[in-house]
Amino acid sequence: MIEVKYFGAVAEKTKCEFEKLSFSEELSLQKLLQNLEEKYQFESLTFSVAVNQKIVSKASSYTLQTTDVVALLPPFAGG
Amino acid sequence: MNTDKRYNRQIILPEIGTEGQEKLANAKVLVIGAGGLGASILPYLAAAGIGEIGIVDHDVIEISNLHRQVIYKTAAVGKSKAEEAKGMVLELNPEIKVTAFAEKLSAKNAISLFEKYDIIVDATDNISIKYLINDACLVTNKPMVYGSIFRFQGQVSIFNYQNGPTYRCLYPDEKVNALNCEEAGVIGITVGIIGMLQANEVLKMILQIGKVLNGKVLVYNILNNEQQKYDFEKSSEFEISKEDFEKKYNSSENQNAEIKFELIWNEISSDEVLFLDVRNNDESPKISLKNQIQIPLMNLEREIEKLDKNQVIYVFCQSGIRSKIAVELLQRLQFKNVKGIEGGALAMKKLLKDDKIKV
Repeated sequence: MIEVKYFGAVAEKTKCEFEKLSFSEELSLQKLLQNLEEKYQFESLTFSVAVNQKIVSKASSYTLQTTDVVALLPPFAGG
Repeated sequence: MNTDKRYNRQIILPEIGTEGQEKLANAKVLVIGAGGLGASILPYLAAAGIGEIGIVDHDVIEISNLHRQVIYKTAAVGKSKAEEAKGMVLELNPEIKVTAFAEKLSAKNAISLFEKYDIIVDATDNISIKYLINDACLVTNKPMVYGSIFRFQGQVSIFNYQNGPTYRCLYPDEKVNALNCEEAGVIGITVGIIGMLQANEVLKMILQIGKVLNGKVLVYNILNNEQQKYDFEKSSEFEISKEDFEKKYNSSENQNAEIKFELIWNEISSDEVLFLDVRNNDESPKISLKNQIQIPLMNLEREIEKLDKNQVIYVFCQSGIRSKIAVELLQRLQFKNVKGIEGGALAMKKLLKDDKIKV
């Protein structure tokens, strides 16, 4: 199981602020993001991605570990 | 001395002392935006004795601002935010120097403005201006104190501090679609908290105490009181020189992608053009022109096949912010003749109501 956190407009699309996802095979960050994109259709939403509180490249081939926490952070505009 | 008395309770903090107070008195801080964040930041900077404060805002106060922009009085509706904010903070602390710039921040004035100050505070409410502030901070080598909110959540960070990472390192994709307060809704407390965190970063930076959010973005959720810090690194591909800056912004500001409705009203029943409403279905005022379709901004990319790349398209939203994003998106997707309508449906309805135009 890994935990995925959603913020701002991304959380409005997913309709939840976090979820736990299980995976059976090796899962790269890039593949996880593809899966989430298919599930939630983020489309024109822009966001940065963090693994364990550190912003990383979305194209990362990093293999997710079961204790990892992934976060999707969109920029905010209000002020 | 009066000054010592005024600041006594902070001077007696071992972290500040008279030396720290002098640092504050010698500091020059430019606050861009005197809206919700600015209304929270400005009084605290002024009261603490920041020697020189600049306030940039070209807007006037509207009644719908008052619930969150708490430094303004009801009687000030219609007046300049920069001027009113200046008056308010000088009443609070007449010992400091405050300058109001009631003008829009643009590539033309950003560099010369930033050069006069030590720290630039981003209290604006749209993303493209944040990229402009970031880039102008890089050119002038000033730190940028960033804050922004989405509904009950906020973000705070420091960019370009001691050659540290920048806004572009955190958010490289400039073509962003994000709602501001007018569109997404907001309560005063959210901007109040985030603005105060920004003011706190400014003070820490000047006093050189604690740890500022250099290379970290703080994300705060006021509904569950959770806050997290995310680290991000500097990427050298986002360096920007003065030449890069001029090249980038001269070309984009010349590309006038907005048009006044008055200039195109005779096209409202023409088959040659299409009016595209990118608001959601439930927004009013309703505009219904014969040659109009509605695709909410969020769905635009998905429903792009409904549009013809060669047609003249006039895009509008409520006030002109989402239409700007839509125009940028369409231009990126090779649409050749797209313009946003200045002031959006509100401006259009006004003209239609004035009966200048018959639909």
